[in-house]
Amino acid sequence: MKKKKILRAAGPYIWLLPSILLMTVFILFPIFEVFRTSLSEVSKAGIIKGFAGLDNFTKVVKSSTFGLVLKNTLVWTIVVVGLSTLIGFALAIVLNNEFRGRKIARAIVVFPWATSLIIQAGVWKFIINQDYGTLNTLLMKLGIISGNVNWTPTPGTYFAWECWVGIFVTIPFVTFCVLSGLQSIDASYYESATVDGAGFWQKLFNITLPLVKSSLTVSTVLNIIYVFNSFPIIWTITKGDPANRTDTLVTYLYKQAFYKGRTGEAAAISVIGFLILCVCASVYMILSLRKEDQDA
Amino acid sequence: MRKEKMYIKKAKTSRDKVLRGLLYLAVIVLVLVTLYPYFVMFTTALKSRAEIYSMQGTLLPIEWQWENFTEIWKLAPLARYFINSIAISGGATAIAIICGIPAAYALSRMKFKGKKFFLGLVIVSQMFAPVVLLVGIYKVMSVLHLTDSLLGLIFINAAFNQAFAIWLLRGTFMSISPEMEQAATIDGCNQLQAMIRVLLPVAAPGIVTALIFVFINAWNEYTVALTLISSDVLKPLTVGITVFNGYNMIEWQYLFASSLFATIPVVILFICIEKHLVGGLTSGGVKG
Repeated sequence: MKKKKILRAAGPYIWLLPSILLMTVFILFPIFEVFRTSLSEVSKAGIIKGFAGLDNFTKVVKSSTFGLVLKNTLVWTIVVVGLSTLIGFALAIVLNNEFRGRKIARAIVVFPWATSLIIQAGVWKFIINQDYGTLNTLLMKLGIISGNVNWTPTPGTYFAWECWVGIFVTIPFVTFCVLSGLQSIDASYYESATVDGAGFWQKLFNITLPLVKSSLTVSTVLNIIYVFNSFPIIWTITKGDPANRTDTLVTYLYKQAFYKGRTGEAAAISVIGFLILCVCASVYMILSLRKEDQDA
Repeated sequence: MRKEKMYIKKAKTSRDKVLRGLLYLAVIVLVLVTLYPYFVMFTTALKSRAEIYSMQGTLLPIEWQWENFTEIWKLAPLARYFINSIAISGGATAIAIICGIPAAYALSRMKFKGKKFFLGLVIVSQMFAPVVLLVGIYKVMSVLHLTDSLLGLIFINAAFNQAFAIWLLRGTFMSISPEMEQAATIDGCNQLQAMIRVLLPVAAPGIVTALIFVFINAWNEYTVALTLISSDVLKPLTVGITVFNGYNMIEWQYLFASSLFATIPVVILFICIEKHLVGGLTSGGVKG
């Protein structure tokens, strides 16, 4: 009986234990290690030699490429999340109508979400190739262009294509979040709005948007985090080259850590990334916990 | 409750007909653009290398090289990569669900101190992709002797999908009334038995969704595998197929043929759960 009592008091925590253990060892320990490394002097072999204060951070921030990389990261995140949210929302409105083949269309829209980013990025790298890419072939067959076009004459255009691939793979998530929100809207709202003479845009802004707001918040905040941390697309298409012109924080830190052996600086970049994302995380938490209180 | 379908009603006036036409046009454009990369993957996988690199580009293969699909299994240890991917994804899924079910159960059925804190932790852990933590992951895995090992990748994938699994499972459990379990406890079951015998069968669709979701995430994972695995025989598909992506000449036909093998199973799985997934994401995520 005594055993049972102890079990009951510890009850919920025992149920949580496996999960806590798993996340502690494989997420919290690495987080701790990253912070420790960022504040340490590290040898090329990755061995910690001693406390270094904020040396790694000053080295990172003072380097001439860091500003560029930070700018790229912000452009990448804002452009990809912004445009995929807009397009994904529009697609959800389209797909929410009744039409023939609706089920098939919805299944197809999911494809990019289910496909590995590394594979998607590989295909697009092939499509936009100047010499043998299929985009040139397609446009020539359609008679739109007469000779091969160089789609990536500058690093900036490469980066734009990477953003496009990012948008392409992010759209389905937004679309499906919004669709699930749309499906819970009662048709009577629209009926009474139509009776009152409301047009398409009025219904969109006054009924649809407010009611799918929470779905949109979830998808936007999650996307900010995923896109900010997205590595495979840029890695496959340009590896951040030429000369860091297409690097974002994650590709830059990967190169610092595993190509150049600057583990300390790489860890410092991670921490800077953390801090930026923490702002997003706290916004997300405030929003979702506030919602929870309202529902309770 | 009726489904909302009010934007474009059945065509009555000519204006409605135009709108209807525009709707179909939009859907067709959307489907074509989405399928385009898959069309390229498929047709290129069936071309010869000479045809791919020739100056005269073709839309469809001149000669359909079906043998590309068999060739790849000899040119690279693809079967091995396949087995590795299945082991990593299967193992990660099992661990994530086995750890996730009791946690989700406690979070949905019990009151205790620190519940909000743990929920917050789950959300925050979702914020950190493995790529940002690579330096730390590499260190921890070195200490545990889990670099260059399938087991290491299994644990990492399980851990980083834990938040999602808990979130989806908790949403499912909360949508099921606890009365049946309470009745079972009165009949003499303990809580664990009640959960296994009463709750889990009812929650099966939600559990399957979580299973498949974690499986697909682990299947498509690239960055950690790239960093931790150095032996060729331990590579998963995502890393393994890049052997066709050489420094001098990319064997596109082989790269895409093997990519198709890596893509088709998960796309099918994904279509199966798509309906449940988004409901679980937003309801489990927001309503809590």
